[in-house]
Amino acid sequence: MTRPEAQDRAQDQDRELLPTATSRETRAFLRVLVRPHRTLAAAGFTVMVGATAVGLVTQPLLGHMVDLVATHAPVAALTLPAVLLVLVAVAQGVSTSLGLSLISRLGETVLARLRERFVERALRLPLGQVEKAGSGDLTARVTGDVSQVADAVRTALPELARSVLAIVLTLGALAVIDWRFLLAALLAVPIQAHTARWYVRNAVPLYARERVAAGAQQQQLLDSIGGAGTVRAFRLEAEHTGRVTRRSQAAVDLTMQGVRLVLRFYSRLHLAEYTGLAAVLVAGFFLVRSGSATIGAATAAALYFHSLFAPINSALVLMDDAQTALAGLARLVGVAAARPYESTPAAGEPQKTDNAVTVRGVGHAYEPGRPVLHDVDLVLRAGERVALVGASGAGKTTLAKLIAGIHHPTTGSVHPPVAARRGDGGREVALVTQELHVFAGPLADDLRLARPGATDDDLCAALDLVDALTWAEALPDGLLTVVGEGGHRLTAAQVQQLALARLVLADPPIAVLDEATAEAGSTGARVLEKATERAIEGRTALIVAHRLTQAATADRVVVMDGGRIVESGTHDELRAAGGPYAALWEAWSGTRSTPRT
Amino acid sequence: MGASDPSGRDVLRGAIRGQRRGVAVGSLLGAGHQAGEASVPVLIGVVIDQAVGKGDLSALLLWLAVLAVVYVGLSFSFRFGARAGERAAEQAGHKLRVALVRRVLDAGGGAENGRLPGALATIATEDAKRVGVVNMAVMSGVAALTGLLVGAVVLLRISVPLGLIVLLGTPVLLWLGHLLSKPLEHRSEAEQERASHASGVAADLVAGLRVLKGIGAEAAAVDRYRRTSRDSLVATLRAARAEALQSGMVLALTGGFIAVVALVGGRLAIAGDITLGELVSAVGLALFLLGPLEVFSWVNADLAQGRASAARIAGVLAAPRDVAPGGAPPPAPVRGAVRLRGVSHGGLREIDLDVRPGEVLGVAATDPADAAALLRCLGRQADPDAGAVELDGVPLRELDPADVRMAILVADHDADLFEGTLRDNITAALDTPGRTAPDAPERTALGDLERIDPAGTGRTAVPGREEDAMRAAGVEEIARALARGADTAVTERGRSLSGGQRQRVALARALAADRPVLVVHDPTTAVDAVTEARIAAGIREIRRGRTTILVTTSPSLLAMADRVVLLDQGRIVDTASHADLVQRHTAYRTAVLA
Repeated sequence: MTRPEAQDRAQDQDRELLPTATSRETRAFLRVLVRPHRTLAAAGFTVMVGATAVGLVTQPLLGHMVDLVATHAPVAALTLPAVLLVLVAVAQGVSTSLGLSLISRLGETVLARLRERFVERALRLPLGQVEKAGSGDLTARVTGDVSQVADAVRTALPELARSVLAIVLTLGALAVIDWRFLLAALLAVPIQAHTARWYVRNAVPLYARERVAAGAQQQQLLDSIGGAGTVRAFRLEAEHTGRVTRRSQAAVDLTMQGVRLVLRFYSRLHLAEYTGLAAVLVAGFFLVRSGSATIGAATAAALYFHSLFAPINSALVLMDDAQTALAGLARLVGVAAARPYESTPAAGEPQKTDNAVTVRGVGHAYEPGRPVLHDVDLVLRAGERVALVGASGAGKTTLAKLIAGIHHPTTGSVHPPVAARRGDGGREVALVTQELHVFAGPLADDLRLARPGATDDDLCAALDLVDALTWAEALPDGLLTVVGEGGHRLTAAQVQQLALARLVLADPPIAVLDEATAEAGSTGARVLEKATERAIEGRTALIVAHRLTQAATADRVVVMDGGRIVESGTHDELRAAGGPYAALWEAWSGTRSTPRT
Repeated sequence: MGASDPSGRDVLRGAIRGQRRGVAVGSLLGAGHQAGEASVPVLIGVVIDQAVGKGDLSALLLWLAVLAVVYVGLSFSFRFGARAGERAAEQAGHKLRVALVRRVLDAGGGAENGRLPGALATIATEDAKRVGVVNMAVMSGVAALTGLLVGAVVLLRISVPLGLIVLLGTPVLLWLGHLLSKPLEHRSEAEQERASHASGVAADLVAGLRVLKGIGAEAAAVDRYRRTSRDSLVATLRAARAEALQSGMVLALTGGFIAVVALVGGRLAIAGDITLGELVSAVGLALFLLGPLEVFSWVNADLAQGRASAARIAGVLAAPRDVAPGGAPPPAPVRGAVRLRGVSHGGLREIDLDVRPGEVLGVAATDPADAAALLRCLGRQADPDAGAVELDGVPLRELDPADVRMAILVADHDADLFEGTLRDNITAALDTPGRTAPDAPERTALGDLERIDPAGTGRTAVPGREEDAMRAAGVEEIARALARGADTAVTERGRSLSGGQRQRVALARALAADRPVLVVHDPTTAVDAVTEARIAAGIREIRRGRTTILVTTSPSLLAMADRVVLLDQGRIVDTASHADLVQRHTAYRTAVLA
């Protein structure tokens, strides 16, 4: 393994993933989901058995026609079995249609319930847990695993059900003709069983690696293509072409390994086919010679066995799809069946708060032994606007997240607590972060996430307040313009304005803003600062300030360093105090050239 | 493939021609496999006729031996034929993928215009794969045709009328099935699309998880998803019913057809025109022939998809470059004198500017668009509409864009980080001069893979330079806060770092690259004021004696520049120190201080 490959591998692991259900938990969860649809399940199964059974009349009818020919029956005698063949075909067609649609209704309904439960639980997972696992894990589950399970339900499940039924019933039909035909056919089973076991043993880990390689290739492509400008600026073209080539070649190599495995699998199945077919023909030879079967019966038996090739092959191949789907299912159930996350105290119970925030003796460590906050005391009075200032790594963002209830403090207490809800179900504390996300769909729908019952006038008022109404109305379809992934592209500043409009609509008494203006560039930053000021009007607000103008206009400035609060007071007080804040301000406002830091 | 601007047809042809051996071997063996599969029902008929019917044991053994030989042949030809075809498909896809990435990363740029990174990545994966699969489709088509021909010959030899019924009946049957299912397919496709919408909504909500949690909108989001999911369930069920109906109809039609073949064949057999075994063979062949004919329909679909994909790939490969390669040799060594003469580009109007070697120049633009236009010209991502940018007296237009970037590094404020450790990112450009030869720009778009340097391993870092850069950009403290220091992996294109951390790592990379001319754009917008002041001093120190242009409105950075140029309304209004400009211009104060 070359060094880059080892590196790639190391990055693919090294994560604490979200829970995955055991197979027992998965089964239990599925039973709960299927239980309300028991009748549907029973009906679907019965109809499919009927449909397959009817289809099996075909071969004896053909055999009967062979017998008629062999015994030189009158030509007219052929008409009845031929008409029966047509009737069988029609009956089989009708019942298969019905059975398949019943089975897919069952599968799809259960699938819909599963994905709803999954999304519901996923959105309520503690953010700390999601971040630890990497947001990619959750995204992969909601896209990859959901579609894999859906594919299985849509194609593999009905096909597998049909194949298994066909195999079982055909073997039964062979026995009905003569049990010795069944015995002959079963000679193929040991080979098939051994082949299947061998295949699954090798295929499952191989395909898991193949998926990882495909994911790594996709990630590398997004990396290199998305960063093409940077690649060119730094002359990294050869390096990145090399990276893509390596990832792509690795994916190709694994795919070819998979292909070789599948082809060896088919070779072994060919051997099984030959063994069974030859045995059935030999059995037919001796049974006809001894007079215990007609030529027609021997023909029917051979045709039965020949018609088994397709369902056996597809059932064995689908086993592999089923394995993959089961792995995906376990990952979905792992999240969907997780206990709903509610922190203490119990939610739903409206908590009495006075719109003030009290932080007492709070310390926090993301990893044991590496504290980032030490013994922080801070009180935000109702309606007060406090700016948090300090170098990166001083603990500003952590403190903001603790107050917003994203994390629980390791020591000390924060009031109001995380789950505090107002009487109307809204959150007591809202957090606006530097996260730039627009929800795909009409702009109005995005805003209504913050307040589902909002009227168009409410939306316009909120947009107007944050200076966004002008551009929003100028969009191709106004508020109904589809934005986000695949829709109309908004600038970073517009996205931030949307975030503020959502804050206005959610209307929490307490707002925490972190780096809300960071990505907009200086000119955009000023527009956003004004919008922010209006959005937090009348709220208790904590602002993580990156531009000092935000600090200058706040009621109070709190300066942090090394996880502690080192200064607190109004802008003017702190400037006069000549401490760290005063030095910062002078450097920033350009009244002194290069400050000592 | 001589032309550098291939059409979709060229791409498709090239993909097949590049794999012609694999496709030929695959077709040949695939044909053998199909012929073998066609023989199995025939041989069943022969065994019934010659051995079972006549009670002849030696005939039984003989024909079972023949059947065994056929099985060995069909099994091996399938195994090695399919392997050759799959390998051809995968290799062709891989080559296209690499060619696409090479074109996108080409120093001349232009391939990304009008295409989102996600869309380009999809072209490099899905479309490349679909074009590759055309190899497999060609192979399967040839094989199916062989199977069909073998079946036809056998059938016509058994009986001309029966053969004609089967040969004409199977296509009619498939056509009928196709006709009946077409309206259903149409509807089902539209409904499947609506169904996939549900998974898109779910992914989108999960991607915005932090935003949802921030405003406590989880419940609203769950409600919305449930509605989408229910809508999509209704659509999916309709589609599933349509599909079930289609399967049922195909079954009924096939069964009816077999009845007709059996009836006609039986009558011929009773009349003595064909033997009993031939009747059995004919029924078996009628069933078998449905297989190759179905292959044709998906081969057609694959070819159509392959053509569409090839056109998309060709669109990227043939995308016009933003700047044309120039042939002049780059100045060596680079002194670092940058001169703009009458440059007009975007909002810029006849800019004249002399940057002395070793100078630290600040550029404050009142309109961010002007700053962006200036940056594009300096990095030769675009050539000015009028006027010229010169490096040591040589117009950039006459240089190769790759050579320009060895001398002038334009570091954008939203520069991307790549997968690897913090240190890997910072040292990425340390070893580029000399180690990796610049790619020849006239190389064909579908060039050989052998030219790629597969290593990218051992670094020849100048000791100390990366540490200096990390110190200057304030990365040392980031590294200190991380569990594995500078060897911590950066994931999701730097998303594992905060915006400010990302910017500082990107700045350290730019400083470590140590180009004769460095142009930095707003390197500290997401960095706090304390650190920004420290970084300003750090940049000044590490760039001592080398030309540095700071395009920014940050007062901390502008304060440490030797001179600051004020760019207002596309023109240079004044050039002076930061303090003087603060005194003299309201526009400057608004842009910088506010």
